Amino acid sequence: MNPQSFARRSFVYRRLPENEFAHESIGDAAVAKTSKFYTERTDLNLIDLSVLPRWGLKGRGSLVWLEQLGAQMPAADNLAIVQRDGSIVVRLSPGEALVLAPFRGECALAEKINSLPADGSGACYPAPRRDSHCWFAVTGRRTSDMFAKLCAVDLSQDRFSNGRVAQTSVARLSAIVIRHDLNGSLAFSILADSASAEYLWDCLLDAITEFAGVVCGIDALGIPHSVKQGDRE
Amino acid sequence: MTHPPGHRLPPPMGTLIERQAPLMFSFEGIRYAAYTGDTVASALTANGISVLSRSFKYHRPRGIVSLAASEANTLVEVNGVPNVFAERHILSEGDCIRGQNYLGSLSFDWNAWIGAFGRFLPIGFYYCSFFRPQGAWRFWEPVIRRMAGLGRVNVAAHHGYYDKAYLFADDAIIGGGAAGLSAAIAAAEKGRRVVIVDENPVLGGALNYGRVDADGMRAGDERNRLLARIKTFSNITILAGARCEGCFADNWLSIVQRQRLYKLRAGRVILATGALEQPAVFRNNDLPGVMFGSAAQRLIRLYGVRPGKRAVVLTANDFGYGVALDLADANVDVVAIIDLRHGSPGGVMKSAAAARKIRIDTGAAISEALGRGTVRGVRVVRIEPDGSAGAAFETINCDLVCVSVGFAPNLALAGHAGGRLVYDAQTAMHLPTNLPAEMAVAGSANQHFDLDMAIADGSRAGRGPQGAEQFAGDHSAYGVTHPRPLFPHSKGKEFVDFDEDLTVKDILDTIASGFEDIELLKRYSTAGMGPSQGRHSSVNTIRLTARARGKSETDIGTTTPRPPYSGESFGVLAGRSFDPVRRTPMHHRHLDAGAQMMVAGSWLRPAYYGKTQEADNAIVKEVTSVRSGAGLVDVSTLGKLEIRGPDSPEFLNRLYVTGHLKQPVDRARYGLMTDQTGTIVDDGVICRLAHRHFFVTATTSGVDAVIRSMYLCNAQWQLDVDITNVTAAYAAVNVAGPQSRKILAEVCNDIDLDKDAFPYMGVRVGHVANVLARVMRVGFVGELGYEIHVPAGCGEFIWDRLLDVGRKWGLIPFGIEAQRILRLEKGHVIVGQDTDGLTNPLEIGMGSTAAAKPFFVGGAALNAHAQRGLGRKLVGFKVEDGSLMPKECHLVIEGGEISGHVTSCARSAAVGGIIGLAYVRPHQSEIGENFTIRVDGGRLVSARVVTLPFYDPTNERQKL
Repeated sequence: MNPQSFARRSFVYRRLPENEFAHESIGDAAVAKTSKFYTERTDLNLIDLSVLPRWGLKGRGSLVWLEQLGAQMPAADNLAIVQRDGSIVVRLSPGEALVLAPFRGECALAEKINSLPADGSGACYPAPRRDSHCWFAVTGRRTSDMFAKLCAVDLSQDRFSNGRVAQTSVARLSAIVIRHDLNGSLAFSILADSASAEYLWDCLLDAITEFAGVVCGIDALGIPHSVKQGDRE
Repeated sequence: MTHPPGHRLPPPMGTLIERQAPLMFSFEGIRYAAYTGDTVASALTANGISVLSRSFKYHRPRGIVSLAASEANTLVEVNGVPNVFAERHILSEGDCIRGQNYLGSLSFDWNAWIGAFGRFLPIGFYYCSFFRPQGAWRFWEPVIRRMAGLGRVNVAAHHGYYDKAYLFADDAIIGGGAAGLSAAIAAAEKGRRVVIVDENPVLGGALNYGRVDADGMRAGDERNRLLARIKTFSNITILAGARCEGCFADNWLSIVQRQRLYKLRAGRVILATGALEQPAVFRNNDLPGVMFGSAAQRLIRLYGVRPGKRAVVLTANDFGYGVALDLADANVDVVAIIDLRHGSPGGVMKSAAAARKIRIDTGAAISEALGRGTVRGVRVVRIEPDGSAGAAFETINCDLVCVSVGFAPNLALAGHAGGRLVYDAQTAMHLPTNLPAEMAVAGSANQHFDLDMAIADGSRAGRGPQGAEQFAGDHSAYGVTHPRPLFPHSKGKEFVDFDEDLTVKDILDTIASGFEDIELLKRYSTAGMGPSQGRHSSVNTIRLTARARGKSETDIGTTTPRPPYSGESFGVLAGRSFDPVRRTPMHHRHLDAGAQMMVAGSWLRPAYYGKTQEADNAIVKEVTSVRSGAGLVDVSTLGKLEIRGPDSPEFLNRLYVTGHLKQPVDRARYGLMTDQTGTIVDDGVICRLAHRHFFVTATTSGVDAVIRSMYLCNAQWQLDVDITNVTAAYAAVNVAGPQSRKILAEVCNDIDLDKDAFPYMGVRVGHVANVLARVMRVGFVGELGYEIHVPAGCGEFIWDRLLDVGRKWGLIPFGIEAQRILRLEKGHVIVGQDTDGLTNPLEIGMGSTAAAKPFFVGGAALNAHAQRGLGRKLVGFKVEDGSLMPKECHLVIEGGEISGHVTSCARSAAVGGIIGLAYVRPHQSEIGENFTIRVDGGRLVSARVVTLPFYDPTNERQKL
């Protein structure tokens, strides 16, 4: 299996060649599953999640609409909450939210969000964040050090707590940075302009090199397959 | 290789060197031995070499002065990199070091003759000479340029990896000496996140090399105690070998560590930057072998190097006696301590020196250092009651002169931040005043020279808050610095500024020339403008000025320190920067197909497909393919906006010149946008997908301005509208040409493509190659065509599929150059190319697009334009066959005057000949009128106004 087996492809799939990464299907696309570079000892991992589903919701009714669907909503802007199914609900503003699918398994909200009409409902409008934004994860002990090379916001572990969100500039590119620790380890998601995905990927790659960071597949997130609520294949 | 014995001292001296790790390096082509941890300066001294460079102006031999990388004397070339401080560069195996600023060799510089003619090179010489007679500068300039500057740029240098990083701290402490360390401890104890920045490779500051007690043990003990405490804190970060180069607003600090620039944002800044020793001014005070007492101490304790064999110490404080004791401990024969002070000042250190039977002369000074190349002796004089040098009473042979006559608190960073430095006559040193609220100064920088007082002051600053608690100076600051260690000599060469080779006479001449104000004096004489930025010349310049003008040093004031504190390399400044670039999802397919990419705003787009030397043929082939078969162009870079909500029709109707209130669902309309002055700012296609849902395209480079304008208007109008920028979310292609319907039919099952079912300017949502797509029939290139928008993640797939199925219909990709010709043939304007910052719709023949509606942005201005009448008009023109082809921006000339300009021009196979668009005066715009274009070389070409569009005037082809 390779990314070009599907109509939908990651914006950076060329940076994850088949001889170095094994891919797996998530239904309508392939995600890099494992990397020959990853070991459990690495302190910094870069993972491409761009093909995973995500949804944007805009409009003054978007937060209420999500809450009515049963989502646990962050109490304030620029906060994120990991839902029971592993999806992440991010509150960007009083009128904008972002839902990131779980790293493994289905998003409980997916069906209802997907059924939201394109012209909106109750002042809640869908936004195609799966295509407007690339999605990269950075995990490991040296994550904050790496960010210090790219981002003017203090994302150090003791100052940028788990669940916080920064809408900022990473490598001079507008980006949403979300801290969502995994298994007690530092983990951040970065969402940025998909058209600049390769540019940002290269910047991240350059930045992680100093800390012996490696590019990994989604397995490096340490989310076991057993939590899958449904095999996307 | 030379390795003279006797210059190295046994342990514990040499705390920074690893004796078990020797290495070799070369200086001026000769190989020398050193130890790991040695700097260039320490290793050369250990090898008996005292001349490191030649001075800037007179090419005098120069050596170590401070050993603190704070003056130009020790700038050398390291492995091809110029202007590296010899005492800062830690040697590596095989390093190749060369001196700078000489013609011939470092030991024999042909340019040293200049020194002999120094009296003919008065201050301001360069300002006053060479401009007469007329044309003389042309002769002198290359001569002067050859001699000017320091170091040689190595144009063959390898690229290095220089980068930048952000850093954050509650408290940034600049300086890791006693005060800095105690400040860090106090701040860390309060739970604050602390960063210590120190330019030395190890923390400790003067505690690493200085002597604060008679037996020479306490400094090391205190350093060990403080460092041990520092290690217990996890909230302290240490940046050693890092220089704070600037202190800017809101405690933003620029810090250079090796090849990285840190941008440190701190809640508070504590300057524990210490105090810099200051030179005494006497004849030949620049001879190698004349150095600060602290420099000798650094050589001894840090590098285990004996700085000389026979020393004279010139002092005016207790520190000088400590230097003498250290020299004696290092087996240097201290032949005399010359104390500028009268009477019997001094404390325990003096007593210890006396106990060692070291000769002490008080009320005396050095009037002249003797020797050529290096110091061989000094001439000692009595100090007269007025402070001047009396007659020489003795000549002492020596190879080392250690000067410890006072300090200047290192307050440059306080000056960067807006602090004001005020001369305190009681201590003969500057005090920091007017500091920003979140800044403090501690330790000897704050005039606390007693170790206990410095530590206490550091703790006070570390605890914070600043302000009321701040106190400067204590008893230990009195008598540390001699108020005027200046001893002018009748034969001159008493240097005030080593960097710029400025003597006492130069400063006095500057004042005599009328440049009395210290800031003007600095600029005319260049005192303090060299690499050391006045660190060792500013105070003595002020003192000389005060004496010459009969004023106090406080009245003279001081110059303003500005960043950078030290030197910054071009690599650090130019190092890794971020320049985002946007690529469409099909970018790599374009490259695979041999596209030549061009920059379009922040995007990369294919200009054409083929080799650059075959560009014209490639473009013609692409144009022909679209006209005769089909072409596929990537238009993903178009701006794309979702406008949704109950008020979306009203919103767009107000925003665009064109009418959209009654636009039917599933229909697209051309949209023209003006600003409030009626100037065209953008255009695009506005598709109505649902009653309250529009999909709007905008120009590639204009979309950001469009969306800003939309946000602003919506904030003012308070309409119920949501605006979402989905530019990157959709990949878009335009399949155009007479075969395009057949091609689309191959991959599209759920959209009726019949020309009546899906007419020109229709919009449909369906599936293309099983990917959900928005398809619109538009005709920018003047052929049957479909613009297909799909999710960006599927863009590459759609591109591949269309090319696959279209191959049998002659489908090939085409680029921007071909598209420009195609649209020109159709007479379509490109906003930004055929319009400028003043163009209104009337001028481009789009006055009729302004719908009859009560309001739209720019409407009132457009009415005013209409009433005033046209000043110019955009027309289509053809040029006679065989004429030179005009280019964009070539001028239209009428009666020798400019009457317009060309905006687009191309050779058209479809139309036949050269066609273009140009602004002309209204009376030139009638069909059939001729006008003249001035082309390259000033030649004139005749053009004729023709009807637009050039191609398919009845628009049959796009409505097929």
